Amino acid sequence: MSDRYDPALEAALSDLGAAIRFPSTPPLAAGIAAYLVAQPRAGWRPRFGSLQRSLVLAVVGLLAVGGIAGAIGIGIGAIQIRFADGTPLPTPLASVANRGYGTQTTLAQAQASVPFAIRLPAGTELGPPEGVFLADVPTGGTVTLVWGELVVTQFSAEIGPEAFEKMVTAGTRVEPVSVNGRAGWWVEGGTHAFFYRDEDGNFVDTTLRLVTSALIWEEGGLALRVEGAPSLEAALRVAASLE
Amino acid sequence: MYRCCRVEGCPLSDAELMERARQGNVAAFEELVRRYEQIAFRTALLVCGDADEARDAAQEGFVRAWRALPTFRGGAEPRPWMLRIVANAARNRRRGSSRQAALGLRLAEDPLSGGAAPSPEGSILAQERREALLAAIGRLSTDDRLVIGLRWFVDMDEAGMAAVLNVARGTVKSRLSRAMARLRTEVDTDV
Repeated sequence: MSDRYDPALEAALSDLGAAIRFPSTPPLAAGIAAYLVAQPRAGWRPRFGSLQRSLVLAVVGLLAVGGIAGAIGIGIGAIQIRFADGTPLPTPLASVANRGYGTQTTLAQAQASVPFAIRLPAGTELGPPEGVFLADVPTGGTVTLVWGELVVTQFSAEIGPEAFEKMVTAGTRVEPVSVNGRAGWWVEGGTHAFFYRDEDGNFVDTTLRLVTSALIWEEGGLALRVEGAPSLEAALRVAASLE
Repeated sequence: MYRCCRVEGCPLSDAELMERARQGNVAAFEELVRRYEQIAFRTALLVCGDADEARDAAQEGFVRAWRALPTFRGGAEPRPWMLRIVANAARNRRRGSSRQAALGLRLAEDPLSGGAAPSPEGSILAQERREALLAAIGRLSTDDRLVIGLRWFVDMDEAGMAAVLNVARGTVKSRLSRAMARLRTEVDTDV
């Protein structure tokens, strides 16, 4: 891992590493086990079955519900929509700042941190975003702009083996729509959560959260999502205003 | 890391323990925590810079890992997955603080010499160089300190670093390279 670096500095760091004394590691295992035994699992409870099996069963359930798009793994580039009927989903978080959008920052700082041009609404009454959040996943980062309950999230669609994944349950309507002339999805009703899945295919729990109705599409190398619009028409207007 | 052993009395592999933990076996999870607690604590310390905060972050991370066990993909390595969750817990704690974390690391008073016993003067000079280098690392950003600390102080492998840093494996090298370049600048500025 170190062939291309600075040999003298590497040697100094190697010497330093041998001289570093970490504080003693506190014994954690027994205390954590005692806590887990004493605390019944709450919130998003572990499922002890196969995720794939759950998805298949969920799709069977969804297909039985009229008016709902039914397909496994529909999605747009970096965002995959999967059906997870029966999957316990997390409790909604009321505070925008606690929904896992990342670190609150300024628009200028966010723009300096991501490789893509952040798209902002123009010609609407929205004005500058009330909150700007920056997350370091996936690779390239995610920028989230917030106006009250309206949330616009954008990240590079070229995120390699990583993926964002939306899990929806029965009762959620997933409707194919045209967004700025491109294929997109309107996800409405029921409960649905948004996950980030790392390159190993594991969920990263810190980004797991419930979202409200969402419009999802990909445009110009960006994956975009509008959440919290009161209707599909309103979400489409926001999408059309982004430039 | 423990390899799979089918002989009675041999310790279970990490993967076998993980599978049992996913079935709700707390004792199996406890053993995994025991195996990972040192590297988890040290990783959290690199992020938090404070031993008490690092302990709390590691505890929180392990509990969150337990709750997230159903999302663990069978066949994957448990250790990077757990360390990623612990590192995220530590990062979230740091985000709640506006101040830059202290480095939280100390030098041994009498570090081992790799070669022949140095002269007293040589020992003092070597220790001064180490202190200067440690101070230079302390002036780097948290991200740079973390990637350097993981590589040189925790001796973490690339998969583990990628997990903790939340980046693809290929990105680890470039992150480390940039952090080393900035450290070189700090060291040169110090001279």
